[in-house]
Order: sequence, then structure tokens, then C-alpha cells
Amino acid sequence: MDWLFFGEISLAGLAMGGLYALIGLGFVIIYKATRVINFAIGEIMMFAAYLFLTFAGGMEMSPWVALPLAVLGGSVLGGVIEKVMIRPMLGESPIAVVMVTIGIASILVGLVELVWGADPQLLPGFLPRKPVFIGEMYLAPKIAYGFLIGAALLIVYLLYFRFSRGGVALRATASDQAAAYSMGINVRRVFNMAWVFGSLAASLAGVLVAATGGLSPQFGAIGLSVLVVVIVGGLDSIVGALIAGVFIGWLETVAGAYLGGEYRMPATFAVLAVILVLRPYGLFGTHEIERV
Amino acid sequence: MFKNILSKGRRLAGVGSIAAALVVASPAMAQDKEPIVFGGSIPLSGVFAFAGVHIHAGLTDYTSWINSQGGINGHPVKYVMEDTGYEVDRSVAAFKKITGSNTVPVYYGDSTGFMKTIASELNSRGTTLMSGASFATALTDNEQYPYQFVPGPNYTQMFGIILEYIATQGKDGDMPTVAFVYSDTEFGKDPIENGKAKAAEMGIKVVEEIVTKPGSVDVSAEVLKLRRARPDFVVFHGYVLSPINEFMVQMRQMGLDTQFMGTFWSSDKLIINKMGADADGYMGVMPYNYYDSPESGPMLDALRAQAEKSDPDAGYRPTGYIQGWFNAMVWTEVIKRTMDAGKELTADNMAESLASIKDWDTGGIIGIPVTVHDMSFPVGRIWRVNAKEARYEPVSDWIHLD
Repeated sequence: MDWLFFGEISLAGLAMGGLYALIGLGFVIIYKATRVINFAIGEIMMFAAYLFLTFAGGMEMSPWVALPLAVLGGSVLGGVIEKVMIRPMLGESPIAVVMVTIGIASILVGLVELVWGADPQLLPGFLPRKPVFIGEMYLAPKIAYGFLIGAALLIVYLLYFRFSRGGVALRATASDQAAAYSMGINVRRVFNMAWVFGSLAASLAGVLVAATGGLSPQFGAIGLSVLVVVIVGGLDSIVGALIAGVFIGWLETVAGAYLGGEYRMPATFAVLAVILVLRPYGLFGTHEIERV
Repeated sequence: MFKNILSKGRRLAGVGSIAAALVVASPAMAQDKEPIVFGGSIPLSGVFAFAGVHIHAGLTDYTSWINSQGGINGHPVKYVMEDTGYEVDRSVAAFKKITGSNTVPVYYGDSTGFMKTIASELNSRGTTLMSGASFATALTDNEQYPYQFVPGPNYTQMFGIILEYIATQGKDGDMPTVAFVYSDTEFGKDPIENGKAKAAEMGIKVVEEIVTKPGSVDVSAEVLKLRRARPDFVVFHGYVLSPINEFMVQMRQMGLDTQFMGTFWSSDKLIINKMGADADGYMGVMPYNYYDSPESGPMLDALRAQAEKSDPDAGYRPTGYIQGWFNAMVWTEVIKRTMDAGKELTADNMAESLASIKDWDTGGIIGIPVTVHDMSFPVGRIWRVNAKEARYEPVSDWIHLD
């Protein structure tokens, strides 16, 4: 066995898994606080990536200015969606809310086609192009630096949720909405905050993934493929999303390298099937998850 | 941004010309002969819209042009289409609607899936000849698809032309090695088995075969495989843009001197516009002259003049435009031959007329006279990107497969 090859493949898979984890985090934050499965998360990612394309490409801003602006734009979009379209659905059946998020996804695709057109796009290069070597192992620079940027945001998030007042409020609301409300926590604000933070994570992941794999109005489909990650990890578990994201990224890449690209998805869905049979609530999820 | 919005504006104008396309139906011609209808399931939205809008423009402009030339044997031409969103069920519905309210001798199909789906109905009707966006090898099977053709070489033939070129690039008597990289779709897999057989027959070793997800986000693992296989050429199929760019950039970062080639839908200027300098050296097989190539000819000049007339601000017209125009050109030739022979416009008669096309001068659209073989035009040329000039330049003669 060529261990160097295995090492390089694993490294690439783990780095890609880091981005999956970031997208998974976007899913989980929103679900954990509001119990809404956001099927529009891929389209929010796409929207942020198109914003980056406009700022860095069309308006020729520095990519390092365009990146935070695009991510901010994606998170504001998440907040607006929550306030305008999700909040009025409070108390409605989960299926109805899920259908609203699917509708939002369609609207965003249409909006993007209208404003930016249907042509496939490449984002302006903003990550270093010099190959990265860890020991003798090669790692594609876009993946390596994308992983580092994503990991930085993950650490900030973990610290925020652990130590800040907003983070505590979010965790309290996720744990017991009625108790949080009775303790004076503005639950509606927490809901909105969850959408903003979840969309922010997804937006950053959107720009980083689009920088690697290109962008088109169909880009949002990746959001659904990451659904596997959050189901494996547990829909309401941040730690689960992180671990499952990294694991699924690694598994997908290794399966693709050794079995062929056509086995990437079957490999991940085989894991999903096994997890659903053994632990229907995911590796780290809680039992009382309501599935739709 | 503003450029994008302007570009979008043009696209909307193109979509708006759906109505215009219908108006094209009433040219100011003296004849009172029945119009001949060009039907079409056109993907103006959805995943293939990037090409669909240009295909539509090509068909619309050709219709205007042929009507300005007196139509086909005095019959005005009417172009009737519906947007399909590149969905088979919508394409089928559009076909039924258009053929239900018109007599449609020729029809543009937007996908291989649609053309295969509609085949049995097409065969039982026996009224319509169909071509379209697809270059699928299967559609050139005369037994199964007697009334469908591809407006160029099929994908297997494209691979044949590419391999013919690669075979000439060996050094010191050694044949170059090649790797095939394709998407995990029916489109992507189409020419692979035949391509491997052809390569073996020619003595070209296929050192790696890589299949990726269609919307693959990261191909670094696949690049690592190619790094070990070290092919002289990588041939892509089943993509439009991504992940070709990532393969090229990463392999060059690794110091490999591999050359990269692609088939029709990944050989448009989109690659140059989006990749910039990274696209330099990329090669594609193309059966038509590019809009901005220095070649000329009466039909190519007419195409450029009509394109300029219909939208003076559009500038370069993509290969989808030329493909749409060429489809309509072939329909016209087939209808004309059938009428000149005093026959009815049935699918059988038109298929016979198509098969009779031999050494046909396309007026510069294709650089050499072409002959139809098995419902295809097995001709093409290898073009290489000159990124500095932002254009494709020919690096081979026209190759006509027998």
C-alpha cells in the first residue's frame, strides 16, 4: 500500500470535511434553536458566493474586503428570511415550515438567474496558489487555506456559544424554550440570531467551496448533500456536525480515490443507512428529535 | 456587476424574443405558400440555460435570415418554441403542444434524455426529423433512432478526433499516454468505452480513468491520482467549466506538463473568460469555426452579419449560437432536398435526404465539405486557447472520420 498516497488523500478529505462541518454547523445552529430544518441553506451559501463575485469581481474590491461583506450579506439574508417568512409560521406544522424553506430556495435560485445569469462562474482567486506540503504530503492550497479560514470561524463560534451572553441565551432556548422565556430571554430575538449565525457559517462555507468548485445557480444542491452530515452527527448537535462533517469528507474522498468517483455517494449513504438503523437520532443527537 | 446586469439584460431581451420568434413567422414575403415550422424544446431556464439562450438566438436569427432569402423554396419559415427548463417532462409537453397545433417537419430537442424519451412517439408519427443539443452516440443508431441526427460528430467521434490528434503528438516514436476524466452522468460516460477501445486500437495507453460527481466541489484527490499516472494528455468530458479549471491549475502547480483537452460543450469561450491566463493551452474539439475565427465563407459571413443585425451589442456569439444556426441550416438543406425530389416532408423522406448529404459545402461554418455518416457529421478540428488573445486557434487540420 502506498501510505504517502493514503496520507495525501486523507488530508484532502479531512480538509474538505472541515468545510462540510462548517455547512453542517449552519444547519445545526438553526435547527437547535428553532427546530426548523433549513432546506434553503445551500441557496444562502450560493447567494453569499454571488455577492462575493460581485464585490471582488464586478466591483473589483479587495477579496479580503469582499469576503466579510459577502458573508455579512448572506447572514443578513438569513435574518430577513427568518423575520419575514419563518416567524409568521411559528406554531405551524414542521412540514409547512420545511416547505417554506424549499420555496425560499427556489426563489433564491430564480433571483440569482435573474441578476447574475445562468452561466457557470469562477470566483476571483484570493487564496494563495503556492502548493502546501505537510511533510512530504501535498495538499491543494485552496483546500488547505479554506480549511484554515473555516476552522478559525468554528473556533470563534465555539467560544461565543460557550462564554458569551448571546451564546448562553441561544443554548438555553435550544434546551427549553418555555424556561428560557420565563427567565427573561427574548426568544424571538434568539431565533433571529440563530438564523443570522447559521447563515453566516453557511455563507463563509459557500464562498470557500465556490472558490474551489465554481459557482452556478445549481450550486445550492451541495447544501442538501451536507444534510447527510447533520443526520449522521445528530440534527441538534454542534459537536456531531463537526465530527460527522470531517468524517464524511474523509470517507467520501477515500472512497472516491480507491473505489472510483461513482462510489463517493454510495459510501456516504451506506454510512447514513447504518447510522439511521443503529442510532436514528444520529451519533450525538438527542432522542426527542422530531423528524419530518 | 454592471457588465453582468447588461449581459442579463441582453439575456432577458433574448427571452423576450420568444414572442419575436413567433412574429418571425410572418415575414414580408410575397408568397402565400404554407409556412414551414421549425419546432423546438429550448432550455431558456434551468441548468442548461447558459447555452439555451444562445441556441435560441441562433435558431431565431437563422429563421430571420432564411426568410430574408425567400424562405425554403418560397415557403416562409416559422420558428415555434417553448422553454423547458431542461426538464424532460416539460420538453415532452412542449413537443406535444407544438406538434399538436402545427405541422412540424423538424424539431430541436434540448437533451439526450428528451430525445430518447420521445423517440418511440417520433418513430410512430413518422412526420418529424429531430436534432438538437445532444451529440450522444446512442442517437446515431439508425435502427433505434431513425429520425434523429446529431449536428456534428457524436461524442465517440469527438474522442476519435481527439485521439487522432494525440497520436500525432508522440515524441521519438513513442505514443503519448492519456487519461480520461468524466462526470458520473449519462453524458459523461457516453464516449468512454468506445474511447478506450479506439485508444487501444491506435496504440495509445489510457493510464488513468477518473469519474467525478457532476457538481464536484473538490478534485484534489483525483489530481493526486493523475500526479502518479502522469499522463501526457487529459481528456475531459461531461463538463462545461468546473472542475476542468481545478484539474488544470492543480496539476500545473505540481509541475506536471500534461496537456488538457475537452469536447464540444467544454470548448467554448466561457473557459477563457472565466479562467483567464490559466486557460492557456487548453484544447478542444470543435466541428464549427468559432465566431471570432479568421476563417470566412458565405454562410459564416451571413451568420455574423445576422448576429450583428439582431443584436449589435452582443459581440462574440458562443458555440451554442452557431450550433443552433447549424441545426437549422441542416434542416433547411434536408427540406430543400426532399422538396426538390418532389417528395412529401415525411420523416422517412427527410432522413433519406439527410443520408444523401455528401461533400456538402456549409459556407464556412465547417471548414471542409462534409458527408453524413450514420446520422452525424463526423468532422472536427482541434483548437487551442491563446489566453493572451482570448481566443481559440486551430492546431490541427480539419479531421473527417470515415
